[in-house]
Amino acid sequence: MIQNGSINMKKYLSLLLALCLVLALTACGGSKEESAKTEEPAKTEEPAPETQEPAAEPVEITVFAAASMQESLNAAIEQYKTVAPEVTVVTTYDSSGTLLTQIKEGASCDLFISAAPKQINALDGSLKDDAEKNPDGLDVVIQGSRLNLLENKVTLAVPEGNPAGIESFDQLADLLKNGEVALAIGNSDVPVGQYTQKIFTYYEIDEAAIASKLTYGSNVKEVTTQVSEGAVDCGIIYGTDAFSAGLTVVDSATAEMCGQVIYPAAVLNVGDQPEAAQAFLDYLTTPDALACFEAVGFSPMV
Amino acid sequence: MDWYPLYNSLRIAAISTVAVFFLGIFAAYYIAKLPRLVKGVLDVVLTLPLVLPPTVVGWLLLCLLGPKRPLGAWVLETLGVKLVMTWWSAIFATVVVAFPLMYRTARGAFESFDQNLADAGRTLGRSNTWVFWRVQMPVCKQGILAGTVLAFARALGEYGATSMIAGYTPGRTATISTTVYQLWRTNDDLGALKWVLVNIAISAVFLLAVNLLETRQRQKGGGH
Repeated sequence: MIQNGSINMKKYLSLLLALCLVLALTACGGSKEESAKTEEPAKTEEPAPETQEPAAEPVEITVFAAASMQESLNAAIEQYKTVAPEVTVVTTYDSSGTLLTQIKEGASCDLFISAAPKQINALDGSLKDDAEKNPDGLDVVIQGSRLNLLENKVTLAVPEGNPAGIESFDQLADLLKNGEVALAIGNSDVPVGQYTQKIFTYYEIDEAAIASKLTYGSNVKEVTTQVSEGAVDCGIIYGTDAFSAGLTVVDSATAEMCGQVIYPAAVLNVGDQPEAAQAFLDYLTTPDALACFEAVGFSPMV
Repeated sequence: MDWYPLYNSLRIAAISTVAVFFLGIFAAYYIAKLPRLVKGVLDVVLTLPLVLPPTVVGWLLLCLLGPKRPLGAWVLETLGVKLVMTWWSAIFATVVVAFPLMYRTARGAFESFDQNLADAGRTLGRSNTWVFWRVQMPVCKQGILAGTVLAFARALGEYGATSMIAGYTPGRTATISTTVYQLWRTNDDLGALKWVLVNIAISAVFLLAVNLLETRQRQKGGGH
């Protein structure tokens, strides 16, 4: 639709393009410099080039982890760089339901840490005959690697200042049934959304009937953002997400309301580095790594 | 099947198109008269939403309109109204992404408009406003209409920014695009397919209309 054939228009366009090229080159130049520095020692990302061990083969492992683990797992990975400098951990954080779909669709993944047993059950070959837990009969988990790593809490968080005066799950249930409130929750594919549904069942709330008071996020971080931006009155997220985002928690769900919030981990057979992944998982069960998780509110289960 | 997303998408698209229609043609009309440098810069700025990913547009809108952000907080305090998470919040997003389409098409139509016709009107003592609405607009009719239809189709197909600024509340802020995503995410593939087909059907009809209008303009001999 650029119909103006005048010479001036072309001049300005070329000027703009030249400007963009220059900007792009400076940006690329900057990052090339940094990667060149770290490329010196042995093509790895370690900050300290003096290691005792001989330069081991650089290895890359892929970890899919629940969005709620982002801050704490990143901290553990930073620590791991001093333990196994040749290992680069590549992470994807998202709703465990989304990650499960990606694995089913053929994504390459070495280690999967889910926010609920449900998603790992669906990949666990030992549950192949259980049509409810493993409906597609998949056998992706390497037997013997699965363990329950962490426990979390489902909490009710409010924006700064708590403008709607939300006090507890009991009061929220009442507002949902009889009053007005804007609540953000995860959708039914997201573990925290699934725990929320259990809470609704506990309070005998009909989700369809209160639909106009809910907004659904596609992962727990999206719900957390909606709360911290004040776009909703409150949100149901994990205690760890509320902590990481600096949100006030007004109530925690009991095990009676939504069951235990267990984060299982398992090494998968659809990755390239199962041994390195197992070594990393073993590291995550050490007190040093667990400290990273406890710092944001997780409880270790190992 | 719950038809709310169709109703919501259509009304959001319709309202945005009306807004964009006036904003687009006035921008095109007045900017065409500006000096070259200013015109060039404004052109880039106003066309930017066309090439930016909708998530970038959504992020910028939230930075401005969120309840804790400058404009959003002011509106919340003075008018007691939250600008996000309502069905009409999506209109901010659709107007921003559809505007460049209307603007550029109108610019194109206006720049190939024969000024002699406008001058003739003025020599007969008619005001600029009269000349614009009664001479320029009818002559540029095909281009303007094509731009309007494109803007409507784009507004109907908005997802990224809409999802960020209006959230997803079934029966309240759900649009066809956000509904398809949610249905897919919750493994309701059949439901998602139904909406995919509805959306394709409507969009195809509108694009057909654009083609017809553009062909007619070419046949007329005038325009570009």
